[in-house]
Amino acid sequence: MNQKNNLSAGNSLLEQARNNAVPIMFIIICAIFIPMAGFTPGYLVNEIVTRMGRNLFLVLCLLFPIMAGMGLNFAMTLGAMGAEIAIILVADWQIWGIPGVVLAMILSIPFSALLGFICGTLQNMAKGREMITSYIINYFINGWYQLIVLYVMGSIIPIVHASIMLPRGYGIRNTVSLLNMRQCLDDLLAIRIKGVKIPLLTFILIALLCLFIVWFRRTKLGQDMRAVGQDLQVAKDAGINVDRTRIISVVMSTVFAGFGMVIYLQNMGNLPTYTGHSQIGMFCIAALLVGGASVEKASIGNAFLGVILFHLMFIVAPGAGAFITGDPMVGEYFRVFLSYGVITVALIMYEAKKRMAKSKAGQELARAQKEEGGAQ
Amino acid sequence: MKSKRRIVFILLTVLVLVAIAGCMMVIGRGHTVYFDNKTLEGYEGQDYKAFDRVVVTVKGKEVAKLDKRDRGMSIWIGQNFKMTLAITEKKGDEPVVKEVSIKLPYSVDGIVINLPAYLAGLPEDAWYSEFVPAATEEPVEDEPGIGDEFGMEGDLGLEGDLGVGDI
Repeated sequence: MNQKNNLSAGNSLLEQARNNAVPIMFIIICAIFIPMAGFTPGYLVNEIVTRMGRNLFLVLCLLFPIMAGMGLNFAMTLGAMGAEIAIILVADWQIWGIPGVVLAMILSIPFSALLGFICGTLQNMAKGREMITSYIINYFINGWYQLIVLYVMGSIIPIVHASIMLPRGYGIRNTVSLLNMRQCLDDLLAIRIKGVKIPLLTFILIALLCLFIVWFRRTKLGQDMRAVGQDLQVAKDAGINVDRTRIISVVMSTVFAGFGMVIYLQNMGNLPTYTGHSQIGMFCIAALLVGGASVEKASIGNAFLGVILFHLMFIVAPGAGAFITGDPMVGEYFRVFLSYGVITVALIMYEAKKRMAKSKAGQELARAQKEEGGAQ
Repeated sequence: MKSKRRIVFILLTVLVLVAIAGCMMVIGRGHTVYFDNKTLEGYEGQDYKAFDRVVVTVKGKEVAKLDKRDRGMSIWIGQNFKMTLAITEKKGDEPVVKEVSIKLPYSVDGIVINLPAYLAGLPEDAWYSEFVPAATEEPVEDEPGIGDEFGMEGDLGLEGDLGVGDI
């Protein structure tokens, strides 16, 4: 009896380890890298807190499409593009500080919502292939974004300030300075504990989004989303407007991604016009997966753990690379291949688990049929 | 009935957001204010001499210490610009502290204030002018978005920065 209990405890521990393979792997990597990098604990905590404030909002917005069973929303980048257009306009109108941030967030809503609607509609046309569809939509809309920013802004959309316009008279420069907006959100209500700056207002905004997610899950729409996420056909039979629910989830994700991008950019203090959004989606998704989320299940806890672990790895990898090989570039490469690798592993694990569950269900059905046949 | 209530709710939300955006546009308009401590010559036949020294404090922070012919600057968000001036008229004098409040025009980015003229109580055209940045020859900037999308021009995109930047 005792042996049986030990065996089942061992099995459940193994199952837990298998389910949390990615976070465990990252914890081990970080534990090895931290002493090699040689940073002080104070520096590491400061960096992690800064990066949490910068990235958590963006990572949390990925939860809505996962709730609706649409997987990882690579198209959150569309919200980032909407926010970038809004921030370019705000910078040109010279609206600075917190009012600039608020205005950029409000202005980003129509852009992000429209792009989210387009994306959601296209994803509905490609049910079952949402992730790859959203990934490619990303490139498609990026082309439009470049067209607008490079040719329409300054020629059709009035841009007054030469400091953000290309010397030829239209199009936006490679980098737009947001110096007058830089860390205005982070510095307001910021507190310092043992040299660690805590951007309280940014964390309040993140906490509000977390509360919204918790509340939203309990609403009718939230329940509908979860039902759609579990089984499309059953949800349809239950009278839920599946397509509409899925579009709403993508729109919510892109709109919140727009807000998140504004928070991110005010922290950075400049806007890389043509590249700012391109890797945001990839890194946010990687961070969420590192936190133990999967394509079909993710929680607020996964987002927090993921951002901490992923960014800890990002901070210490160049130092560790320099320690091992004498070249920090190796660490730089390492963190890039790890972030893409983590997405690949998570997708493979998801598919493998799905197949295993399917075959298990098939075996159980066969056994049940056999037993039924035997009884007759 | 339900859809009517929904439309009203959406319209109200849009209205509130537009109102907040409008407020932000007014209260968040940034300006760069330049202060000149320069002699204003020949204004209606009279000269207004520069002070020996002016110390400018904005929002409790000392932003400029101006000797004769100096220019200082400060940034300001909103239209009601306030500063404190500690004016030393002649060498050896005790500085006189003055609180100054100026209404800034919404449409102007850079505003130059001639302090001797302003403190002499002259009309706006005597002490106010718009800052026009000097035109400079700019280095040619690479046009973004032109070139091989895959970053494989010659070096397979593997050299130098990985383009990851700071995330």
